Amino acid sequence: MIRADVIRAEFTPPGPGDFDLAPLFGGTYAFAKPGLQLILAGVLVFGFFALTSRRAAMVPGRLQFAGEQAYGFVRNSLARDIIGSQDFMKFVPYLVSLFFFVLINNLFGLVPFFQFPTFSKAGFAYGLAALTWILYNGVGIWKHGLAGYLKHQSVPGGVTGPILLLIVPLEFISNLLVRPITLALRLFANMFAGHLLLILFTLGGEYLLLESEQLLYKPVGAIAILLAIAISFLELLIQFLQAYVFTLLTAMYVQGALAEEH
Amino acid sequence: MARHDAPPSRAVDPWAAFGRLVAGVAIYGTIGWAGDSWLGTEVLLPVGIVIGAALGLWTTFLGLRQQ
Repeated sequence: MIRADVIRAEFTPPGPGDFDLAPLFGGTYAFAKPGLQLILAGVLVFGFFALTSRRAAMVPGRLQFAGEQAYGFVRNSLARDIIGSQDFMKFVPYLVSLFFFVLINNLFGLVPFFQFPTFSKAGFAYGLAALTWILYNGVGIWKHGLAGYLKHQSVPGGVTGPILLLIVPLEFISNLLVRPITLALRLFANMFAGHLLLILFTLGGEYLLLESEQLLYKPVGAIAILLAIAISFLELLIQFLQAYVFTLLTAMYVQGALAEEH
Repeated sequence: MARHDAPPSRAVDPWAAFGRLVAGVAIYGTIGWAGDSWLGTEVLLPVGIVIGAALGLWTTFLGLRQQ
């Protein structure tokens, strides 16, 4: 009797601690699974587009066609439609890489053996948002000059008089400081919450179904497992959507930095 | 291809409204709080927060009207 009590494990609800993974190896350059996924995603994106464009032919083969469809999707529906046909080509390489890099990292959340969305670690999301922040500010300074760009981002058109004194710090902070933070937070929080939800439903379902001795809990556990599968499909949608939104907002910020004076 | 020669659609970042509200409340709330601790009063913080939120709303409105 006592032994059975010892074996029966208490259910520990999943929490933020489940996101702290042990490093894969020791040493100075140690990193955990998310770090490996980040590198792997970079290799996959580079590999895919290198492979599909290496022997580019006038009449594309199946592989080249897939590559061109993927590239064309970001090029046309994000870069060209947002930034405009004048300047968009310069930003297409960054936007295409960004979209597929985020997408693959998000999809790792559902791929067996990985099953961890890389950007549910906030640090990676902040790093990625910093890249976008540097890009759109750099583009704006290149286009308007430093003083012109600061004026462009912090003085809204159509406002004159002393009220500007109140508006300028607000616009400055919202356009240059809050933007990268919300950009990173949106990606991180969506990935974090989705993954936590999945852990909860699978672990909770497994516990109710197999480990609790209350017979009535077992069907509830089965329902939880079924729901976990349903949530996985919802996650698939969110993972795609967040990659799209991140790239969309990057394109919007670039367009805003490039826009002519109001 | 001709339809893409038009100037880009002035797409609006829906999160700009959030950024402006947060920035407004943060700046003018901080100023109000600083005023409170300097003068020993207690009204400037809420006043600052309300002014910040109002300015955030107003700039959002201005930004949308320009489109």
